[in-house]
Amino acid sequence: MMDFQRIKPHLPWLTLVVLTAFVGIANPTFLAPSNLLMLAGDIVPLFIMALGLTFAIYIGGIDLSAQSMANLVTVIASIYLASMGAFVAVLCVLAGFLFGTLSGVITTKLKVPSFISTLAIGGVAFSLAQWLSGQKALFMDASQRDASFGWMIGRTGIIPNELFLAAALLLLCLFIERRTVLGRALKAVGAGELAAAASGLNVARYKILAFALSGALAAIAGLLFSVKLSGGAPTIANGFLLPAIVAVLVGGTPLTGGVGGVLNTVIGTLIVAVIRASMLYFEIDATRQQMVFGLVLIAAIALTIDRSKLRVVK
Amino acid sequence: MGARISRATLLRWAPFLVLIALVVFFTILNPSFFSLRNAARIALAATPALMVAIGVTFILIMGSIDLSMEGAVSVTAVLFATVFLQLGGTLASWAWIALPAAVLAGAVFGMLNGWLHVKLQIPSFMASLAFGFVGTGLALMMTGGDRIRVEDELFRGLLTFRFAGFPLMVWLAFGFVLIAWFIQTRTTIGRNLYAVGGGEELAHASGLNTRRVRVIGFTLAGAFYALGALMAVARIGIAETATGNNFMFISITSAVVGGVALWGGIGGVWNAVVGVLIVNVINNGMVVIGLPDYLQDGVLGLMVILAVVLSTDRRLVSFVK
Repeated sequence: MMDFQRIKPHLPWLTLVVLTAFVGIANPTFLAPSNLLMLAGDIVPLFIMALGLTFAIYIGGIDLSAQSMANLVTVIASIYLASMGAFVAVLCVLAGFLFGTLSGVITTKLKVPSFISTLAIGGVAFSLAQWLSGQKALFMDASQRDASFGWMIGRTGIIPNELFLAAALLLLCLFIERRTVLGRALKAVGAGELAAAASGLNVARYKILAFALSGALAAIAGLLFSVKLSGGAPTIANGFLLPAIVAVLVGGTPLTGGVGGVLNTVIGTLIVAVIRASMLYFEIDATRQQMVFGLVLIAAIALTIDRSKLRVVK
Repeated sequence: MGARISRATLLRWAPFLVLIALVVFFTILNPSFFSLRNAARIALAATPALMVAIGVTFILIMGSIDLSMEGAVSVTAVLFATVFLQLGGTLASWAWIALPAAVLAGAVFGMLNGWLHVKLQIPSFMASLAFGFVGTGLALMMTGGDRIRVEDELFRGLLTFRFAGFPLMVWLAFGFVLIAWFIQTRTTIGRNLYAVGGGEELAHASGLNTRRVRVIGFTLAGAFYALGALMAVARIGIAETATGNNFMFISITSAVVGGVALWGGIGGVWNAVVGVLIVNVINNGMVVIGLPDYLQDGVLGLMVILAVVLSTDRRLVSFVK
């Protein structure tokens, strides 16, 4: 008899494979490599945001400012590309890192739950974006954009270039998670904050860093998004937040902390991408897609989460 | 009775004091803020959100969270409007049945939500987030993206008929607050919610069927979301998929600002009332003092942080997530 406990950690990617096969059997063109790669390339901005959120969720928190952060960065990138060129990327990431740090400080030092603090900081980012943009949509000069960030978009062979950026960021996050003090500390905080504090860990510092990372990655997501669209606006990335959270959760990083990680988010994002794409292949009416998405999501989450580490399910 | 007010009392009343301070603050900046007309405007804007915030407060007391309210509000609003128009489109006919039917539908929606969370052992954050999509999706499916107008004068009387300066729905909402308060303090259900929120394992060990309590809590919340939906439809006269938009963050923020703890067992109905009033006073006050609209989200965010900081007992909280 197969031991179910041993399969459990593999459920997220098994779910992905089953879903992909399910769509593929119904419509084999879905499985064409170029199609799958294009699908993956399209979801990269969402993936990068989800990657950042993973750190916040991994410690048992949440970052609801990610979408507003990405919005703000599309505005910053569009305005300062002309004067700063490729260095605008530094400004963007720095802005994300600082806003994230601010959320982290408010959460840890002022003891405001991250649900509220990040939402509030998201409001501040939104106001800043509106002020900077003059509440208008902004456009990048196409030649300037291509000169500085052209490498991000387009494709090499059949591989969309976004995927290289995604892979690089994934490796970086994987390195942080598995091979740095920060990664180990976040695991300790997620698994049990009181125990981590009692064993002398500077919990506040690492939590702040987790939010800062989340902010920085949301900023990169925003930058890529503005490059793809060649412009920015204070609401252009709206609609990203919930799918990004869903991607993290469905990958198997529950909000209780200490379980899952960035690799889970890769699987989770792809699950979201496949579910969305399947709507087209099964020709589901536009007015029904949202409901089907919700139902499939419940099934996927029920399959993927590892309950063995949840003491009480709240 | 000492002359000194104890620290505990002060903290208990902190959200209310924050509310008073805000009213004084905006009145000083613009005296026209403090008028019956403006009070009615604030109360009216707050009413639908208040019902939703009370609903989610029941969930927060249990230490769970519910993110399905946008879906719940949309689907019950659309369901109400559809049934109401089918049965004659005026409260003077059998169409009045649509009102209790909508509340019942909200309760069933909440029950399913809680049942999924408990049966499938999915944390409420995820279960309710996904189930919220189902709700919004159902509303979209029913309307096909169209708006449904509800123009019955009797029903809109909730908005247009005023007593002592306030629209009827504000008084009605007050009545529902009292009912919620009664449920919270005078019924077994109310006590059980606190028992689960205060320590689930202990409650379970003392023989409480905690799973049943959870489902009941979500059912109750669903009924209040439906009340919020009815008020929202009465206020703007339209039911659509977007009716539920923005209720999620605003209702949870309000509850927390009012002093309901996200980790369970602390706060109650009156905290939700004060929290919703704080958020709506800030929103209204910013307009009254003429703050540029692009600044309003940021200022609201900062003031919310300030309000939460002022009303949290940092001695009791060892860490926050």
